[in-house]
Amino acid sequence: MVAVASTEAPALRGAAAARPIRSDGPLATAWRRLARNKLALFGSLVATAYVLLGVFGPMFAPYDYAKQNLLAANLPPLSDGHLLGTDQVGRDILSRLVTGIRISLIVGFGITAISMVIGTLAGAIAGYRRGWVDTVISGIVEFTWGFPLILLAVLFAGVLGPGLTAAILAVGLINWAGFARVVRGEVLGLREAEFVQAARAIGLSEPRILARHVLPNVLAPALVMASYYVALGIIVEAGLSFIGMGAQTPLPSLGVMMAEGRNYMMQSHWITTIPGVAIVSVVLGLNLLGDGLRDVLDPRLK
Amino acid sequence: MGSYLVRRGLRTAIVLVVASIAVFYGLRIAPGDPTGGVLSPTALEEVRAAYRQRLGLDQPIWVQYGVYLQNLARGDFGTSLITGKTIQELLGFYGRNSLVLGLAATVLIYGIGLPLGALAAAKRNTPIDQAITGFSIAGMGMPNFWLALLLIFLFASKLHWLPSGGCCAPDQLILPAVVLAAEGAAVTIRMTRSSMLEQLGADYVRTHRAKGLSETAVVYGRVFRNALNPLISLAGLRLGWLVGYALIVETIFQWPGLGYLLVDSILRRDYPVAQFFSLLLVTVVVAANLLADVAYGMADPRIRHA
Repeated sequence: MVAVASTEAPALRGAAAARPIRSDGPLATAWRRLARNKLALFGSLVATAYVLLGVFGPMFAPYDYAKQNLLAANLPPLSDGHLLGTDQVGRDILSRLVTGIRISLIVGFGITAISMVIGTLAGAIAGYRRGWVDTVISGIVEFTWGFPLILLAVLFAGVLGPGLTAAILAVGLINWAGFARVVRGEVLGLREAEFVQAARAIGLSEPRILARHVLPNVLAPALVMASYYVALGIIVEAGLSFIGMGAQTPLPSLGVMMAEGRNYMMQSHWITTIPGVAIVSVVLGLNLLGDGLRDVLDPRLK
Repeated sequence: MGSYLVRRGLRTAIVLVVASIAVFYGLRIAPGDPTGGVLSPTALEEVRAAYRQRLGLDQPIWVQYGVYLQNLARGDFGTSLITGKTIQELLGFYGRNSLVLGLAATVLIYGIGLPLGALAAAKRNTPIDQAITGFSIAGMGMPNFWLALLLIFLFASKLHWLPSGGCCAPDQLILPAVVLAAEGAAVTIRMTRSSMLEQLGADYVRTHRAKGLSETAVVYGRVFRNALNPLISLAGLRLGWLVGYALIVETIFQWPGLGYLLVDSILRRDYPVAQFFSLLLVTVVVAANLLADVAYGMADPRIRHA
């Protein structure tokens, strides 16, 4: 993964040089256009804030997320010592929230990142090599892609017992195929493109052409897809945890927090609404970011 | 097309066989077993062992699988370990409820999604378009369990207009159907809109306008039909997702459908029920995707499968 990442930047400049229409590097152009799209910029800010909260939040959490204190139960937000209040058994909601965000980060961002690398490589190899490799990979992808994540996760929960592992496996197994499918389609067109033929004509090795001239060009659609998939992963994890098939209490997945607060909606709605708002805002942010990225990175959509 | 169908069909069959083995093995090697759901927690280990022996759970898994296949071949799908009902009885009751819920949601998805999407495209970049697009973005960003909580809170707890769950009166159907349909309707709006916009730029549209057809006739008579093609292949996926989301929605609203039954049987390790209904749902999803592919090929003759 590190090796791929390190070749991306110079390769992108290489690809741009092969197309004299663009004066700037495509990444720089893309960033400038993204920054002009206010909704997308807002989306990326929300996503960034969410990532920072999940990564650093638990380190600064004021309480242990599982520590109960029945004397301080059902405190509303902005109470003394509990910024976001406490839940029905007196656990600090802020401390639980940041850990919950970390869990959705792991399932959403972490697993999507891994499956993006695997899926992109698989799709690129399938599209570039064709032949039996393509037949095998496409065969698997055809079935995996489009299979409902939640059903798969519930099946895994049946096999492994309910827990985060089921959600993680399901998200990973479906997502890589989504990436592979899109990337394969792009690569099928790219392998016949003139700049690839030129690279072949000057005698570059096939793996080198794939890594430096083909892969950088599929990065855009893969990134767009990633932003939607991260949102999907977060929703699926929370949904599974909500119905008891995902993270198990006292682990404060956002879905678990909402499920536990559900019976107290009338008296202390914040137990449920705070994690709910966290999920909705990050999903909305990621979708806006995805829309913005697509407009910016896909020249065919102008 | 014929050989394509045969190959796809064969592959589907292989997947289903593999899935059945995986589910069968997986359920049995997973921690916990049906004695936890049926016998009292204080039951002695001897009682548990006798119970396992009676169900044949002490046999090697491949032997159990063989017995299972034999029973299947005789039309014996098994009985629930917990309620003692046969699979056929369960399928009749829970399956009907799922069909009712799924149909209601499908009507909502397309009844809302198609007209609004077409309207947004026809009035693009007007406040109408922005309102519809905003509605669809909100619908897609709203996890269904969160929407469910909000609607229950508003319509059941606060206003007391609708029940918060249960089955099977019409007023109990409304909330689950709306929640199940929300995301699909949002996606359908979006797809219809972008598909229509793509078509509106085509040459034949200019021809129709040039020969003096009214804008309404062009947009809703000509463009709309062509814009539906990409939605057909999406419909198969939609059905699959509906099955997936139904797991969550049925569980939240205690709507006794197949999703509710599957989640419940997995949590209680009711093996015969869990394995039959997981395979049933997998089959539905895979078949829906296959059908959508075939229908897509028929709707658009330019698409020919190699």
